[in-house]
Amino acid sequence: MIYSILLRKGKKQFLLFLWFLAFLAPGTYASSLADKPVKGNVKDEKNAGIPGVNVRIKGQNVAATTDASGNFVIKTKSENDVLVFSFVGYTTKEITVGNQSEINVTLEVDVKQLGEVVVTGYGSSSKKTITGSVSSITAANFNVGAIASPGQLLQGKVPGLNISRSGDPNSEPSVILRGPSTLRSGAQEPFYVIDGVPGASISLVAPADIESIDVLRDASSTAIYGSRAANGVIMITTKKSKSGESRLEYSTYAAVENVSNKINMLSGDQLRQYLKDNGQSLTAANNDAGANTNWQDEVQRTGYSQNHNLSYGGGSTNSTYGVSLNYFNNKGIIKTTSLDRMIIKAYINSRFFNDRLKLSLNVTNSNSNGNDVFQSELFGNMLTYLPTVNVFRPDGSYTEDPTRGGYLNPVSIINNNTYEKKRNDLLLSGIAEVNILKDLKYTLSISSQKNEFKENIYMNNLSNLALGLNGKAQRSVYENTQNVIESYFNYDKYIGNHTLKLLAGYSWQENRGNDGFGASTRNFYNDALSFNNLYLGNPKVLADVSFLDKSISTLRLISFYGRVNYSYDNKYLFQASLRKDGSSAFGANQRWGYFPSFSAGWRISQEDFMKNLPAISELKLRAGYGVSGNSAGFDAFTSILRYGSVGKYYSNGDVVNAIGVVQNPNEDLKWESTSTTNIGLDFSLFNSRINGTIDYYIKNTSDLIWDQYPVSTTVYFLPTITANVGKIQNKGIELTLDASVVKKSDFSWNVALNLAHNDNKVVSLSNDKFKVNSIQTAFLGGKGQSGNWSQIVQEGYPLGTFNLWHYMGKNENGVSTYQKADGTVVASQPLTSDYTIAGNAQPDLIYGLNNTFRYKNFDFNFFVRGTVGNKILNMTLAALNSPADAKNQNIPAFTLGESFKDINAYLTSDRYLENGSYLRLDNATLGYSVKTNANSIKKLRFYVSATNLFVITGYRGIDPEINIGGLTPGIDNRNFYPKTRSFLIGANILF
Amino acid sequence: MKKFIQTLLIGLTLSATGCTDLDVKVESQYTNSNFPDNAASYAAIIGPLYTQLSSKFAIEYWRMQELSTESSIIPARDGNYDDGGVFRNFHYHSWNADFTYTRDVWQWGFGGINSTNRLINLFEGTPESATKKAALAEVKTMRAYFYFLMMDLYGNLPLVDKFPVSEQPKTTSRDKIFQFIESELKSVVNDLPLKTNANAVQFYGRPTKGMAYAILTKLYLNAEYYIGKPMYNEAVAAADNILSSGAYSLDSDFNSLFSPNNGPSNKETIFAVPYDALLIPGNQFTRFGFTPFLYLKYELQFRPSIAMSTTPEYYKLFNLKGDKRTDNWVVGKQYNFDGSPVLYATTAKALDNNYTGTDKAINWHVEITPDLTLVPGKPMDVGNDILGQCKGIRSIKFYPDKNTLATTRMNGNDFPAFRLSDIILMKAEAILRGASQTTVAGVPSTPLDMVNMIRARVGAEAASKIDLDELLNERARELAWEGWRRNDLIRFNKYEVEYPLANDIFKMDKNPQRRIYPIPTTEMKLNPNLVQNPGY
Repeated sequence: MIYSILLRKGKKQFLLFLWFLAFLAPGTYASSLADKPVKGNVKDEKNAGIPGVNVRIKGQNVAATTDASGNFVIKTKSENDVLVFSFVGYTTKEITVGNQSEINVTLEVDVKQLGEVVVTGYGSSSKKTITGSVSSITAANFNVGAIASPGQLLQGKVPGLNISRSGDPNSEPSVILRGPSTLRSGAQEPFYVIDGVPGASISLVAPADIESIDVLRDASSTAIYGSRAANGVIMITTKKSKSGESRLEYSTYAAVENVSNKINMLSGDQLRQYLKDNGQSLTAANNDAGANTNWQDEVQRTGYSQNHNLSYGGGSTNSTYGVSLNYFNNKGIIKTTSLDRMIIKAYINSRFFNDRLKLSLNVTNSNSNGNDVFQSELFGNMLTYLPTVNVFRPDGSYTEDPTRGGYLNPVSIINNNTYEKKRNDLLLSGIAEVNILKDLKYTLSISSQKNEFKENIYMNNLSNLALGLNGKAQRSVYENTQNVIESYFNYDKYIGNHTLKLLAGYSWQENRGNDGFGASTRNFYNDALSFNNLYLGNPKVLADVSFLDKSISTLRLISFYGRVNYSYDNKYLFQASLRKDGSSAFGANQRWGYFPSFSAGWRISQEDFMKNLPAISELKLRAGYGVSGNSAGFDAFTSILRYGSVGKYYSNGDVVNAIGVVQNPNEDLKWESTSTTNIGLDFSLFNSRINGTIDYYIKNTSDLIWDQYPVSTTVYFLPTITANVGKIQNKGIELTLDASVVKKSDFSWNVALNLAHNDNKVVSLSNDKFKVNSIQTAFLGGKGQSGNWSQIVQEGYPLGTFNLWHYMGKNENGVSTYQKADGTVVASQPLTSDYTIAGNAQPDLIYGLNNTFRYKNFDFNFFVRGTVGNKILNMTLAALNSPADAKNQNIPAFTLGESFKDINAYLTSDRYLENGSYLRLDNATLGYSVKTNANSIKKLRFYVSATNLFVITGYRGIDPEINIGGLTPGIDNRNFYPKTRSFLIGANILF
Repeated sequence: MKKFIQTLLIGLTLSATGCTDLDVKVESQYTNSNFPDNAASYAAIIGPLYTQLSSKFAIEYWRMQELSTESSIIPARDGNYDDGGVFRNFHYHSWNADFTYTRDVWQWGFGGINSTNRLINLFEGTPESATKKAALAEVKTMRAYFYFLMMDLYGNLPLVDKFPVSEQPKTTSRDKIFQFIESELKSVVNDLPLKTNANAVQFYGRPTKGMAYAILTKLYLNAEYYIGKPMYNEAVAAADNILSSGAYSLDSDFNSLFSPNNGPSNKETIFAVPYDALLIPGNQFTRFGFTPFLYLKYELQFRPSIAMSTTPEYYKLFNLKGDKRTDNWVVGKQYNFDGSPVLYATTAKALDNNYTGTDKAINWHVEITPDLTLVPGKPMDVGNDILGQCKGIRSIKFYPDKNTLATTRMNGNDFPAFRLSDIILMKAEAILRGASQTTVAGVPSTPLDMVNMIRARVGAEAASKIDLDELLNERARELAWEGWRRNDLIRFNKYEVEYPLANDIFKMDKNPQRRIYPIPTTEMKLNPNLVQNPGY
């Protein structure tokens, strides 16, 4: 193999080189002469001065930067000094000072770096010459708002990247690129690479610290990340200082958040009236206190957030450094929920030996403290708890009826239970780059990441979740570590019109997770100690003390990779890559997989025949094919036979753990592989006033891993096995369009639009060994419907296909009727065999539209996004809409329109399957930049912003933006955090 | 930082060697490489047989055996407990091969059989010893027991006695399964321990000689139905092995056999499935078979469901004077232990949906009524007003367990799967069916005296004569809700007797092919070598 030869050869050279450097390093001090100032001017090819050019004396710690007109002054010490002029996008130029006191230089545009640079795997490339499908979003285009997670910065901005978030400050948004392509939950998230560190925690990055995000969408771009790249790769580049500058930046905002919509439940009076009108009364045990309690108001509040980001840095000729501090605090709209986070990041990059060696070290630490509530208990009860009772009884105790399972006073859930989530993430990464030869570079990147999770729970003696336990405390602490070594060579050669870039590398990664423990105990004398001292609990029997059941999971990934880029005249572009990946997660027979990719691009605009069409400034056709893998979302020891506790049994007077097989082994478990064909067109019209991209892709995922393949217990230990069987296809088209509608000196208007359409289809669920016709999912329960599913995964249909009873309207008595499989209509509960396919949760179109206006010092931006054509199952409404239950629980205003006799109203049917299309004015921001004459202030901007101003939708639930990830997308099932609207005021100052 | 430098050094070394080692250490789990490796771990590895047994014995398996008879019923209540019609399917014998219970219980039973085969394979690889012999006898008896449970339900089964198997097993006819169970039990019975007072705790819930003979007694008593060959003398001989062993005697307190505190101290229990309210889940008799209106009286921490009751027909069999067993049914107006009435604050309308007067608050004297009058037009639905909720006689035979948690609703009462009075009644029945009388010390030799011995213990009037029909009724009284009703009715050819409910819109499927359940569809798809039972 080419790359292994390179690796071997390079290694020897590298070691020799290090040895050589070690002897040479001390001794390069030049004798000091009188300083002689040299001044001059740096121009571009059009004779315009270039500001910000770095001018330094080669091999010395002396540097200067050109001013706004391109002028500079630098003090030289010797006639032999060589001035180095460098600037991004231009060829670096070196000039010996000699006896000149004024040096004027013209820099030429670097053909190797055509304009905008995008970050690709193990390197970067000009946007104009890439052959894959990559979207780049810079900080200026990020979403604005009280944003905790970088994922939210991109929401609606990248075609095909479907992000949905909840209002919960403690939860990460769900992200899916180009349609779902796996059956496993937790396996649809893209792969994150942060400043070159693969698999780094996204929570380590403060949104304010991000310079740009590149989303690698097709397999020809992502295949270099092999087995982890099937869901796309998101490359995050953080802000860095430049040589010769000194930078201090402070940005801040404060935001107010309110619940934007809530379900209209009856007041106490309304409920009493409804029952009276229907000749009913509250079940006596419910003890009507004549109250009008609005439980949603009782547990919700106005949320506040604040964010402060201070960063500073600078650079001398040979070193750059930077530090940033970020503090984020969010008080959620549900009482007691909060997130408090501090991120500290520092880096230093140094160059040695005439830039032959570059060393950099990055340290990032993110520490967060969150407070959560028991959401699944709270959100149901906040709606259904009877409004006719008060929060407290006259004697001061919480109004509770402990004999009604799951019927819990919402205020008590909040007040009497503490749920603390703490997290600390530390990332250390070091990179050494050695220019071995002029064109050959070796990079060694080592990173070590540690994530520590602590959860502390205390249910006090009044807690309705721990009745009669006199306080129940639980603590857990778990640590995940990830160590990654990347070692690779880049060889870039430019000969005439030929550009050749080679990459060969090796990577080793080990993730070790769930290292820690959790324990719980109960029965405390009082609540004074909360969860802080488990020792002082008084468990009565063995079962009162329990330990969390989590096992250490170690995953090792080893990869070899190589890539070739060749281009002729920057016109014909080719790329091929191959990655060989090994993962310990797979069966002994199937651990290694190969992931190749090929792509080509043709810059039509460079052809002579296009010169007559000046309107077209850039036109590029791209086509690529690649294979990538997916191994996320399951335990690292899924393929082996494992024993575990399968319960307890009576043994000689004691109750002890029975150890049995808990997993069928599968030695043939292998990579899920996704092959993508991508054809794209990039264009730029009218002097780059209009830029756009169209991509068409076909993404075929095969060897789908599913953990519930039924196998016969006459042959296997357990009735299900994790195996590779099915196939899923996603086909789609994506469009981005960016236009400078108006571009004048004091007024500009820019429009950016992106559209994505994806067709998802399950192609197959069976092979010759494992068979299943369909997979029933989304077991949502509900009155008399336990064991009923509401979605089905079936060949020929998309994931998220609803399988429901067909609602046929009400009969003459106002009772809901349903269609049976034989076509007859019944006014009673049908059977699951009467289910029909009723639409699916996949949207036809996802879009985002951004408008930016600048007028003098003002800037104004508004951003609209939404989906079209997706269905949502409104289980929240279905479960609530039970007239007969009004005697025992609250009902929504919706139910007032139902007959009290409608005993079938609540049945989960297509009556509750609603159009989930929406259009949201996601954000509007007005900014004002203060022009100061003070030299020290480079930029000062104030802004006000509002998020989620309105939603246009026909959906009857709280908000149509619900979880679209996982195996059961599009279900609104009573447990999501209310959506919010927020208003924000902020400022940026750059010194 | 130290760790980072360490990683850096490791990194340099690794990149120099181009490491390709993908074998990672399994640190916190038992796998083939570290388990089992000593006496304690070999003991623990037998445990799954018992957790498997307890996991579905007292709910799913029990429902297969009882809900399909008149002994118990779970009617819908205004749509609640309709649960897709599963309980109706039991009552009307209208299940099919897609029936979830058919699937779940099949997977449960073969999960157990598969575990025994795996353990036998494991133990056979160890050096000869007394421990090995005892372990093999224990596991093989459990395999025979699981096969007996499955054979009784499904008739024809794949016979799998090895692990792993390379081929999907074929359906084996019921007579071959019968022979397998019989020969296996006979081959190991001498290696099994005899229960004594000294080892009662050690072998509680574990196979003993008594258990093996109890299974054999059941096999032989049902042989005429199972394999068309009467084996009543063999049944008597197997029962005599138990009766003459002196290891078991009738407990004077009948209720102690089923109480939350039952256990090795019960002298009558031959094999029990132990349960624990906190640690061993699987018994929910109070959750499903009791009533929420009496939770305060029985000091429960939760309100039980309104689900399961017996039918009026079954209750009518409890017609003996002085019979303490009748008191385990909860019926009629309810009183607290101090004699005061159990009152329930409600309204006239909430009590009775058909009430037409002006609604008013009332303090209702809770009354459980035997009749299961259905709401006209609704499938096996007795309505959900309070009167509807109180329809159907409940049971406290498995007495409510105060330790039951509201979150899990699990009883701690162990389930006696085989007990002495069943053996005595079986012997009496075998003699009534033609076996020769035998004499065993401490047990009367005629069927009449044997039945009267059972009756005397519970204070019931003695019988003056006994025939097969009356013996079946005695079994109904003695063994109510103990999981034998279906087996008994089939043996007496009465499984298809219909007990219509008022306003019934369904009829029982009386096809005798329903005496065995279908092979689940899922299993038929997974194993093309299986043959579906006739009639499905």
